[in-house]
Amino acid sequence: MMTVYWFLMTSVVMFCIGLYGLLTRRSLIRMLLSAEVIFNAALLALLSTASISQTFRPVGGALALLAISLAAAEVGVIVSVAILMFRLRRSLDVYELGGE
Amino acid sequence: MSLQIDPSMIVFLISSVGALISALLVIEHKSIVYASFFLAMLGASNAALFVLLGYPVVSIFHLVVYVGAAVTFILFSVVMLKETPLVEFRVRGIALIAALEVLVVLSIGFRPLLGSKLIGGVISLKEVSDLLINRYGFALLIAALALATTMIEAITLARREVS
Repeated sequence: MMTVYWFLMTSVVMFCIGLYGLLTRRSLIRMLLSAEVIFNAALLALLSTASISQTFRPVGGALALLAISLAAAEVGVIVSVAILMFRLRRSLDVYELGGE
Repeated sequence: MSLQIDPSMIVFLISSVGALISALLVIEHKSIVYASFFLAMLGASNAALFVLLGYPVVSIFHLVVYVGAAVTFILFSVVMLKETPLVEFRVRGIALIAALEVLVVLSIGFRPLLGSKLIGGVISLKEVSDLLINRYGFALLIAALALATTMIEAITLARREVS
């Protein structure tokens, strides 16, 4: 029998993979991709927990739609920053972001 | 004696394994273009999991907006960038310990939900749209404004300066 727990465990493993990628990469685009893996994990966890209760089920769906819209907006901003950074520094290394 | 196999269980196994393999390839693949492609695969596998949870509307929205727009935007943008692999080898051990710690803590935290069954049925588009308009109207407005602002911001930032 399929329970919510297995969906949550999938999201937890996905979150850990994203966290590992975020901590070990220095390229801005790689960090964005890792953050997107974490976003997917969080979205799966939100919908899994919302599907336990009949009351919170539609609320979970509505919040997921808003989260997906805002994630699309966030992707647009970070990719634009990456393109701008590559033009200025010829590198995507986040360690080079701070200095002149 | 016949062996009863639940079709949704097979879909769940294929989707979850596909999602986890795609997630691994997103962070480990050498080519950034293929990594973006595997992010799209991860989004598609997640959309299949959303259908199993009873959210077909969210699943279609995820496929159209996230995979179809956001990930494709990354995919077409990264071909313009030349990436040299930048891996922080010193923190690999610490990152692995942190990831394992999160795995253990969350696994224990979610343990009480081991017996929680999924509520059957699907959420309709009318139900979600009613809730979005009547209860989360302001949040919907903010999301729409954020998307419009992002579009303007992306055009401004990515615009090539003409001297």
